This record gives sequence, C-alpha cells and structure tokens, in this order.
Amino acid sequence: MLLFRPSRFSDLPAVERIAALSPIGVTSLPANRDTLYRKIQASVDSLGADVSFHGEESYFFVLEDTSKGEIVGVSGIVASAGFNEPFYSYRNETIIHASPGLGIHNKIHALSLCHDLTGNTLLASFFILKPYQFTQYSDLLSRARFLFIANFPERFAESVVSEMVGVSDANGHSPFWDSVGRRFFGMDYQEAELYCGVKGRKFISELMPQHPIYVPLLSDAAQAAIGQVSPDSAVPFDVLLREGFETENYVDIFDGGPTVHARTQNIHSILQSRLVSAHRGHQRPGTPHLIANCRCEFRATVAELTLPRGDDITLDPKLADALEIADGDHVRIVPL
Amino acid sequence: MLVRSIRSDDLEALLQLARSTGVGVTTLPANEDRLRRRIDASLASALAAPKPENSSFVFVLEDPGKEVVGICGIEGAVGLSEPWYNYRVGLSVHASRELAIYRQLQTLFLTNDLTGSAELCSLFLRPDFRHSNNGSLLSKSRFLFLAEFPERFSPRVIAEMRGVSDENGRSPFWEGLGRHFFKMDFSEADYLTGIGQKSFIAELMPQHPVYTSFLTDEAQAVIGQVHENTRPALAMLNGEGLRYNGYVDIFDAGPTLECALVDIRAVRDSHCYAVEPVQAAKGDKLYLISNRRLDDFRVCLATTAPTGGGLPLLPEILRQLDLKPGDSVRAVPLSSRERAGDITI
Repeated sequence: MLLFRPSRFSDLPAVERIAALSPIGVTSLPANRDTLYRKIQASVDSLGADVSFHGEESYFFVLEDTSKGEIVGVSGIVASAGFNEPFYSYRNETIIHASPGLGIHNKIHALSLCHDLTGNTLLASFFILKPYQFTQYSDLLSRARFLFIANFPERFAESVVSEMVGVSDANGHSPFWDSVGRRFFGMDYQEAELYCGVKGRKFISELMPQHPIYVPLLSDAAQAAIGQVSPDSAVPFDVLLREGFETENYVDIFDGGPTVHARTQNIHSILQSRLVSAHRGHQRPGTPHLIANCRCEFRATVAELTLPRGDDITLDPKLADALEIADGDHVRIVPL
Repeated sequence: MLVRSIRSDDLEALLQLARSTGVGVTTLPANEDRLRRRIDASLASALAAPKPENSSFVFVLEDPGKEVVGICGIEGAVGLSEPWYNYRVGLSVHASRELAIYRQLQTLFLTNDLTGSAELCSLFLRPDFRHSNNGSLLSKSRFLFLAEFPERFSPRVIAEMRGVSDENGRSPFWEGLGRHFFKMDFSEADYLTGIGQKSFIAELMPQHPVYTSFLTDEAQAVIGQVHENTRPALAMLNGEGLRYNGYVDIFDAGPTLECALVDIRAVRDSHCYAVEPVQAAKGDKLYLISNRRLDDFRVCLATTAPTGGGLPLLPEILRQLDLKPGDSVRAVPLSSRERAGDITI
C-alpha cells in the first residue's frame, strides 16, 4: 500500500536521496541535509502546534510504500508564502499603447516584480519517483494535501498557489533566465537556484529589477518560455490544472514558469470531498477514491470504494488500520 | 554671407531647403503649412511681450546672391503647450554583499525634465555651403541674439543633436526600442515629430524605466551618440560650453546638450561696441557681429579688433548689417580657441 503521511526525522536519509533526484527548479527541495532536516523539524513542530490562524507553519509529507518501507515521493505545504522572507513573483501585466489618431493599438505585456501572492498558502517540494509519475499515486501525493487543508481550514489561507518549474534546455540553460536574471545576477541559473534554496530569497530584492520588464524587449526564446512548464513539472501541473488552478497571471521570476493559483474552497478535491464515519467490516468494492483521516497525524491513501448514501462507510480493517482510525472516526473521501 | 531674421517671402526658399534635408532634422519638415506657421510665429515673436513662452525665432543664412542656403532657430521655452520628452540615462546598482555581487545597470527614464528650457533648433546648412565658417556663423549667430535679448529666453539653453542613423534612415536605437511599441519606421516617426505629433508618439513609448541591457548591442552603443554628420556641430557647441548631461532623444537617443544661457562662451564674452567706420580692415581676428535689432536682426563675420574708439568695420559690413551712423554693434570672437598663428605682437 502507498501511504501519504507527515514526514518524520527517521525519513531524513530517504528524503535526501529523493531530493538529490529532483530537478534544479524545485528550489524548495535542495539536496542539502541541514535544509531538509529543518523542513522536517518545521513540519513536526507545525503539526504539534495549536494553530487558530495560518502563520509560519509548514508541512512536509512523504509517500511511503508500506510493503517495502520505502519513500517514493515527497510534497509540502507552506501555510503562508513569504511569512519569513519576501515571496516574489512577476505579475503578467497588459499595457495598451493606443492612439486613435495615429491608427495604433498595441497590446504590450510587461512583467512586474510583485509580492501579490505573499500570505497565500503555497504548495511546494513536490517530487515523485519516475515509476509512480502520472499514476494515481502522483494524484495521491499532490491531492492528499487538499484533504489535509479541508480538514484544517484554519491552518491555511483562502488562496493556494504553486510555482511550476519553467523550461530550460538540455544543458540546464533557462532562456528566460539568460534574458532576464543573468543581467542582474551575473551568474548561471543553476547557481542562482542553489542560492535561493539554501540562502533564502531575500537577496532577490537586492538584485532583481524593481521596474517592470517589457516583454517585447526580451529574446524570442525568453518570450516563448513565459508561462511554459518544464517536463519536470508536468506531473504536478497536470494535477493542479485538473483541480481548477489558473495559470495566466503570475510567473516565476527566475525561469518564467507559471505560478498557478486557486481559491482554496474552489479546489476540486476540497469542494467535492465528503466527511463520513468509518467502521471496520466488509468493504464494498467500487472505484478508486482518495481517503484520509481527519487528524494531525494525517494518513491518506487510494482505495477502491463505493461512496455510501448515508454518513457511514464500512472499511476493510487493514485500510482502517493504515489510516489509524478508530471505529466511528470521520474520514474524508473524494473520487480519484 | 549674412544671417538675418526670417521674412514672409522666404517661404518658397525654405520649402526648397527643407526638401534637401535628411532624416533627423525634425524641426524642418518639408511641410508647407508647418513652415508657414514657423515663419508667422517668428514674426509674431518679435512683436510679442518679452517672455520665453512668446519666443519662437527663426533666422536664415543668405549668400551674397541673396539666396537662402541655411536656417536656424531658437525656441524661448519648450514643452509649455505639449509635453517635452527626453530619456534620462540613469544608473541602477544591484548589489548583494552576501553573494558578493555588484552590478551597475544603465536605465532610461522617460522624463519631462527639460520642460521650459530654451532650445537651439532647426539648424540646417545646404551641403555645398558647408565651408568657410558658414556653419559657425549660422549656428553661433543665435548666441548674439540670446545675449541681446536674454529676457525672451529661458535661463537654461538646450540643443538636441541628431542621433545615429544609417543612409536608409534606419536608427539602431529605434529598432531596439521604439519599433517594439509602434509598427512604424524611424523616418515616419521622425516626420510625425516634425509636424508636431511628437507627444502623441511619446505617449505610446514605454512609460516605465527601461534597462538598456534589454536592448540590442547596436541600440546600446548609440545612446548619447551623434550622427556622423553632426560631429562638427557637436564639437562647436561643446566649444561654446554646451554639455551632454545624460538626456537623450526618445527616438534616436541622440544627446541633448545643456548650458546656462549666461555661461555660453559667445554670450558671456560678447560686448557692445560703437561702430568705427574704416576703409581698411584692422585686426586679424574673425568676429561675429550683430546689429542688435529685434525685428531685423543681422549677423555677419568680419576680421577686426576692438580699439579704444569702438569696433573698426568696413563699409561693406555696415551695409550688410544695415547700420546707420551712431548705431552700435554686439560682437564676439567667432572662436573661443586662439591658434598660435593668430597671435600678433
């Protein structure tokens, strides 16, 4: 069984191996033991805290193959983007340059450095091993977070955002970076991403342009890269699009990848999920669903179920045990 | 050769002259209505109350055969009826001590900073007359006018120099910046500017500061640079004290030169003299000499040197400047630099 659960300190070696395999654009997942240790620490602390309003908490989950005791994926939630350091995005603005007298009507795009998404809940650190990509397990790893958010709405903001890795070539060159960031940083994209993951994003304010950037002045390759998603982010991007996230308005300041966003209550997995009381017994077969408990010691998995008409569901004892629920506890269910 | 105030009957000659200018002399378009208005404005300026906003003077250069071969103008104060735009070439420093990064980036800010300045404009001399100090006479004659009637001009004087463009009128700066915002050629934009549409166009230009590193190398290279044909004019105005202070034209990035009116060499060093009629030339230095009149201003060159009694001038000069007995003149050495051969004991 593949089980989604909060990370523990004992996961650190496995998480470090996973992080080493993750693409460079996932800045929230650097293969740096200290950074990963702090992520787990923060998650453990956040889950143990009594939270009535979202603040500096962050949550870091793993996907475990319980039959082998192996970690096959990780994902995280930052309760408030930019709580401790600025959260930067480029806002994609449209400026109309028009003169009826001269017969001119031009739509000019400009990218403005902004903090608009500060305070939104941020989905981050998503990575799943290749054999599990584009399976129901990549849905589990991404969407189980929404069931967690649905369980504890007070811990999260009213909007959720996520940064998708933008495009780069086979040598790791990002055309967007080469046309924009390089001019201000004088360093390679990989180097900048590394600094960001390890040292935080504060130095961005010191280096990045404070004035809007006119898109027509960028190289053709850079313009084409704006809002495009790297194959590395194809898995989470696919999931989030199906969940109703929008892609148009914000892009990453480094690689130009889209920053997707949605109203928390409108995310499909949250909107369509149901709370029912679970009891051990004979489980009726059915279609694949995500099912999760309602505790901070969160557990979620995929199971073939038939949704009950009433408020009670019978679960196979093995499933109930994996979810660590007692008879009569609530579980949250949504079709896969 | 004589520089004089423009007259109503100069229109046809002016049109001919305008047709022979290249791209870039935006204030002399081959547009009859426009030229007619410029002449009328100049005539009205002499009659108006002495305020900078009332001044729009035009002068012509005529050869001994009375043919008009050059033109120049002075505006009392620009940008008072429609916005006057320049890019200010600025600097933005991006540094991070922690990352040991320090970078200087050039920026272009769209400004109206030079609004209200007096402007030296419309300078054009027919190519076959570009010799024998004709260019200096035409351009510098305006300084004697400024010295004579300072109350009619703003205390700050500017001159926009033609920027770099190739023989087809293609401007690298326009290609690198303006073209992205308009789908038109530089020559067309330049023409529209000449017929008074510049502020229209400026409103379509980027309003946010532009980092020049986003422009092509060719565009970056010509910021603040003058057209090859404009180099002599640049050197001459530099010699008079006008300096490039980081303002450039928004279309071709040619430099705008600035100087306080009273600090211009030919204004500062000019003096009024009583006329001393002589039959044989005295002195050996070339002087710019004006008749000090507002309505029929005249300037010519003469070799002379001031004496205790005034400025010795030949009858031919008196006739050219339309001077009568008892009139005085304003004069200044044509050039600020004295060559070794000029110095006499």
